[in-house]
Amino acid sequence: MPDLSRRDFLKLTTNTLLTASGLLGLGALFRFFGYQTEPAPQTEFDLGAASNYPMDSRTLLPNIPALLLHTKDGFSALSLTCTHLGCTVESKENGFTCPCHGSKYDAQGNVLTGPAIKQLSALRVETTSEGKLILHTD
Amino acid sequence: MYRRLLFIGSALLLVVILVAWQQSSRTPKPISLTPTLTGETEYCTTCHAELPEISKSHPLQTFGCVSCHGGERLALDADLAHSSMRGGANPSDLSVVEMSCGGSNCHSGSEAENRDHIQRVMTSIQSTYTGAIANIRFTFGAQTDLFPQFGTSAITDEKTQTGITALATFDVATETNPMVQKFGENCLTCHINAVPRDEEVHARQTGCAACHATEQHKLTTAIPYTQCNACHNRGNYDLGSMTFMERTDTPTTRIEDYYQPIAQFTQCEYTLDCVDCHTRSEVMGDGDLHATQKDIQYVQCQTCHGTMTQLPQTKTIVDPNDIALKMEFLNPVSDLKIGDTILVTEKGEPLWNTRVLPDGTYELIGKATSLRFNFRPVMGTACEQKPDEQGSQYCHACHAVER
Repeated sequence: MPDLSRRDFLKLTTNTLLTASGLLGLGALFRFFGYQTEPAPQTEFDLGAASNYPMDSRTLLPNIPALLLHTKDGFSALSLTCTHLGCTVESKENGFTCPCHGSKYDAQGNVLTGPAIKQLSALRVETTSEGKLILHTD
Repeated sequence: MYRRLLFIGSALLLVVILVAWQQSSRTPKPISLTPTLTGETEYCTTCHAELPEISKSHPLQTFGCVSCHGGERLALDADLAHSSMRGGANPSDLSVVEMSCGGSNCHSGSEAENRDHIQRVMTSIQSTYTGAIANIRFTFGAQTDLFPQFGTSAITDEKTQTGITALATFDVATETNPMVQKFGENCLTCHINAVPRDEEVHARQTGCAACHATEQHKLTTAIPYTQCNACHNRGNYDLGSMTFMERTDTPTTRIEDYYQPIAQFTQCEYTLDCVDCHTRSEVMGDGDLHATQKDIQYVQCQTCHGTMTQLPQTKTIVDPNDIALKMEFLNPVSDLKIGDTILVTEKGEPLWNTRVLPDGTYELIGKATSLRFNFRPVMGTACEQKPDEQGSQYCHACHAVER
């Protein structure tokens, strides 16, 4: 192994340090540009095959939260977000009750007692050509 | 020389980049929450996931943290995240309450919408302390009568029912009597509009939290007497020296703990909790400025027990929007429902935790304890109280317990 002069040693070390700095800097740059912003809230929900929901069924969809109804008129859905401040209402006898502030709605989502003023929102349900149900919350 | 500088520079550059990288790597992976009320993502639960739900009326998924506490919602550095918090550990402090508890049209608004909580509290005696201020100023010659002129902060009441339209800020610097000055310096620290004292233990003794935060990060309307005791039975003011004298006794029974040692009380007064009898308007105010505690506090023994010639007032619940049902909903101890008959006060306030029983007696369910107490009216008993002596002090003459 040849002797390394002091000058060569300094040069090699300097180059190594600069290279490491450069690589780390590049890494930081990739990290900066690769930053993932918060995704927009989901507004479309694939509910699977329409045949999974028999006639006259009422299916609770807690993750949305919504209630899917299948009647002779077709599919419809009701948002289970209380129109007062946004808590998730609970399904009770023939209607819904908000566990936060006590608003009560009938089975169609109309307000029975406040503090809510507006009825529960109706959500759009789309049936695709493949027979799948898509629920829209926007 | 040039090579040496280049070497040192490149070494420093690497150190700087490594430190920055390390700092960046120490930043926790954010846990995001998008409350339904605001729809704005916040990262507070990255560090505060362990905090309990504050109450069933304020679920985290609906309110998040920022709508009440403020703060930088997307910051992951603790100092930055907390830099714009409202009220520190107590967002209900009255200096910021309008933005926190009153935000999003929650607890601030009109009486008709039943959202005037903050407006009532701001004008309440517990906030203005005006009676004590007027009494001390009158006693030491700083004013010629007891009519309230000053409160802990300036406030107006345009729809006054009491004749008190406004209070100016009590400013100790403008007072000339030394006793009034001492009063201002020593005796204005325990009303709910005070500047909180420094120690952590006092952080939640102002604003809404003074009554409703019975535990850390918990809000409730089931308020035990111990919460009221935090202010109302800590000791006494020595008016000679204008200093607060902390209690020195060590109570071992509820009656010893409950009230000032000088007071007389019947069994029900110290067995129940304060909120079992005293109403929301007595405690939180009715929206009007009042001169003294006596002007707003009106519930007496006769409110529930009636007199020798009159039964207490009652009301049958028929309206599903009755305030009694709303209050029971927040603290469901009594399973109140439409058709139940309850006691009401002289001013028509519902004592929603009571029932009129079929045999003509009454039942009270403890708001903080859920204990059930059966009691009867004075009418039809051997009571010989004079008709014009119906205040509680006359009941105490026979019914107060030995101490």
